[in-house]
Parts: sequence; structure tokens; C-alpha cells
Amino acid sequence: MAKKVTKKTPDKASKEAPKPEYIHVKFDLPRRYDWSTGKYLGYFYAEAKENKKIMGNRCPKCKEILLPPTPVCGRCKVDMGWDWVELPQTGTVFQYTYLVFPLWDPHYGERWANPYASAIIELDNGVFYRHWLEEQDKEKLREGMRVKAVWKEDYNERGQGPGDILYFKEIGKE
Amino acid sequence: MPNRVAIVGIGQTYHTSKRPDVNYAEMVREAVVAALADAQLSIKDIEAAFMGTMETFEAIYLPDLGMAAEAGFFGKPGFKVGTGGTSGASVVAEGFYFVASGLFDVALIIGCEKQDCGDTTAAITAAATPMWGKGSTTGAIGEFAKQALSYMRTSGAKEEHAAMVRLKADRNACRNPYAHLKLGLKSVDEVLKSSYLVWPLRILDFCPQSCGACALIFASEKRAKKITKKPVWVADIETVHQEVFRAGVFGDPTGKETYTQHVACERLYKRNGITKPRRDIDMAEIYEPSNWEELNLYEHFHFCGKNEGWKLIEKGITEIEGEFPVNPSGGVIATNPIGATPTIRVAEAALQIRGDGGERQVTRDVKTAIATALGGPNWTVMTLLKRSL
Repeated sequence: MAKKVTKKTPDKASKEAPKPEYIHVKFDLPRRYDWSTGKYLGYFYAEAKENKKIMGNRCPKCKEILLPPTPVCGRCKVDMGWDWVELPQTGTVFQYTYLVFPLWDPHYGERWANPYASAIIELDNGVFYRHWLEEQDKEKLREGMRVKAVWKEDYNERGQGPGDILYFKEIGKE
Repeated sequence: MPNRVAIVGIGQTYHTSKRPDVNYAEMVREAVVAALADAQLSIKDIEAAFMGTMETFEAIYLPDLGMAAEAGFFGKPGFKVGTGGTSGASVVAEGFYFVASGLFDVALIIGCEKQDCGDTTAAITAAATPMWGKGSTTGAIGEFAKQALSYMRTSGAKEEHAAMVRLKADRNACRNPYAHLKLGLKSVDEVLKSSYLVWPLRILDFCPQSCGACALIFASEKRAKKITKKPVWVADIETVHQEVFRAGVFGDPTGKETYTQHVACERLYKRNGITKPRRDIDMAEIYEPSNWEELNLYEHFHFCGKNEGWKLIEKGITEIEGEFPVNPSGGVIATNPIGATPTIRVAEAALQIRGDGGERQVTRDVKTAIATALGGPNWTVMTLLKRSL
């Protein structure tokens, strides 16, 4: 329910119009949403939850592996069929950034932990994947860093698709 | 095309970060009233009204619903479009199509956004499907940060060049009474000393969140000539939207992707006989959310060769007094009321053609101008304006 809270009351003695001010509107969150994955993304979610695998699907025409998986290749405009490829869980940081500006979960209004590193990772078969990095020290981040996926170990916590991978961790750093 | 379409009225609000004195509808009304005054028309002359805005940025799903009276919609046909960052240009295209089709002779076009109610970057992160990529997207700033890194690496541009773009924008904004950020920056060092938002983008490398609205009045040829002595003709519009751009969003690290700017340019330039854009077009108002993106867009729109964007700023070619002025208004990094931003690009380019740019009027005579819009991921709308067809 929305609840209106006025910050201050206008001066009643003044004969002029009240000074404009912001009204702060309070919402009670979270709201509940149920999103459907669909058939293709659903397969990705299932393989991540059950087998800790990253799955992409391959276009029968251009042979490109698409991530996220889709039923149609946007470029070739052909039906993708059901040709699944397991993707390597190791890769190289192609590009990264370090987020200082605070971001909010747009659906539940929670503030995400910050700062953090977000990267585009070139998996070892050449497919690009966007995820977080474990390393939070800006000085130690670099392009070309070799990384591997670290999964949520608890089966019951998985089922969040891409979120089943906690982050990508630098290889050789324990 | 059955009907030629002209811009006969231009109006905008002043742009600023906070407008507690008005609500969304009242703010939009200011732009509509200004456009009507410019055209010397009454709202009764308007046959249809169209509006472009980023839905949910104000946490309102149907922003047009609550402003039918204020914005002049009441009892008139027309509808709102929302295409992300390009919304304010898509509404220009929408109005153009309807007037060109002959359905309406006089139409009102509105782009608007009031961003002082909350964190609009949260709304941008909601653009990603919650089933994929939620949380690893970084809002607009993060995407442009990656683009800046790519550009820096491949083009040979230095941070100083990006800072020079901000200085140009700031000088121009200081000459534009409607612009939001007027900082009076004097040196490259001042820009390079500002703090990081998302590495390597600094606070002065990026656009502000502004409140503002911009309204245009379109008329068919027979009406336009009666309404104004200085119609600005909408010669052509090209829209290219593309979702399949996985790796980079605003910069392509793979080198394999097709940029919508290239597709849009190829079509629009070919249809209008433009072979050398910097010779055949007199000035441009482009949508550059960051100074790095401006350098990048010089190249994408073929204002120069690949990896040469930074040389244009170094040589002063894109200054108000330069050979090919870009964003004499101060551009998007000075003023960004998102839904209004692309409409302002068209409005400002039209003012240059009319010669009504005031202190920001460019030195060279503008007969042909281009206005562009950018949305995410990788969407482009280009509008070509001319003094005579």
C-alpha cells in the first residue's frame, strides 16, 4: 500500500501559494513475480541446476552457438532445432568494468552489493558470456585473466539459471 | 510519398535535474505551449498527438494516461511509443509517417521525461529479462564504460580526447539557454580529475539525469506553407532496431557484429544521394550519452574514417565555428531527459536550419542537418532535415 508522507507543512500564515515540494511515496516491497523461462531457456536452467553445465544451442545454418539459447537464429531467421552444445567452464576475461555507481534490483528494490566487477568472458570455445568476477580488487583485475566458473554447491539453492554460477574465479588462485 | 512533412513549431522546457515546482503533466504542458506559440497555432488546430517516453522511468506504466488534458491529447487520436533510448526519435518517425500518409495535416509530437522522482538506472537494469543477465548488466553507465575501453584500445584515442569532447559540449551548453549542465569547464585536467562512476568513465564523461520535455508540430506541405515562412522539411527517416548483439551491447569486442548505425547510414545516405556525409550534410545533432561514444559515433556515421574520430575533436572540426559542427546545443552529456533527448536532437537541428539557434547558431550556413538517436542495445534512428526539398 502506498503511504504519503509530507516532509513539512506549508506556512499557513503566508498568503502566497505554498512553496513546491516533493512528496515522498513509500512502497512496501517485495512484490511477487513469476516469470516463465520458456522451453529453450528452461533447458539451460535445468542443466545448470541438475548438472552444473552451461548449455548453448547451435544454429543449423550459420553454426553459431547462441547464448542465451533461443528458438530462432535472429540473423539467419531459421528454426534452431534442438542441437545443444555444452560450453567450457573456463575462459579469458575479454573486457571488464568495475562498478562504483550503486545499482538496485529493479524488481525487488534491494540494493546490490557494490562495488563489484562485471566482465565479458570469452569461453574457451570462443563464445562470449557475461558474468561477475570473484576478484574485487580493481588493481588486480586485468584483461586476459584466466578464469573458471564457481557454482553454488547446494542443490536447493540452484535453479536461478545464470545465477547458479556464483562468479568466475581466477585460475590458479586458491 | 503522398505528403511532404515539415516541422512548423518547436518548443522545449528548460532542462534541469529537479523540478519540484511542477508534476510530469505540467512540465510537458510547458513544451506544448511553447511549440504552439512558435507555430502561432492553437491546440484546436492540432489533429493528432503522439508522445514518446521511457515507460516506467517515473515508476508509471502509462504516463500518457494522466496528461491527456495538459499535453493536448484530450479527445484526439494518437498514441505513445516507447522504444528505450530511441523513444523520442521513434515518436518523430511516428508523426512523420502519419502526416506523410495523409491521415492528418497537423500533428503534435512530444518527447518527455521527468527523472527527479527516483533512480532511473534501476529502471534501465529492468530492461534485461529477469531470466537472463539480471545483475550482471551494469545499467547504461557500465555498458558505455566497456565501450570506452574498447574504443581506447583499438583507436589510439587518449583520455584527453574524451575530455576535449566534454569541453566542447560544455562551451556549447553555456551558449544554450535550455541546456542542463553548464559547468564553465576550462581545462582537460578538470575533466580528468573528476571521480569515477564506472571505471574508466568519470562523472564528467557521462550525461546527467535531466527533467525536460520537447514538442514539435508537424504539418503537411499545403498547411505548412500557410503556417510558417520557415518550414524545416523532414526529408527522410531511417530506423534500425537490432536485439541480437550479445557480447558488447554498445561496443563490439568481437569485431563480428553489425552496427545498426552502419545499416541506417547505408540506407539513408543511399536514398538521399549522400556520398560524403561531411560534405553533403552541414551539421549533426547526435545522441552521445558519453564523450567516448561521441568519438565512436563520428566513425559509425562516417563523418571520418575508422579510428579517426578523436582527430576530428583534436582539429576542432566539430566545434560551433568548425567545418562540421556536432551538437552545438551541448548535446546529451550536457542535457539528458531521456524520452525527450532524441526529440531535442531533431528540434535543435531544425533550429539551426531556420537560423534560430541564437548564441549557439553555427558559423556555417545550415541547409541540411542530421539528427540521430541511440537506444539499447544497439538501436539507431536517423532523421534527415532540409531547408528546401
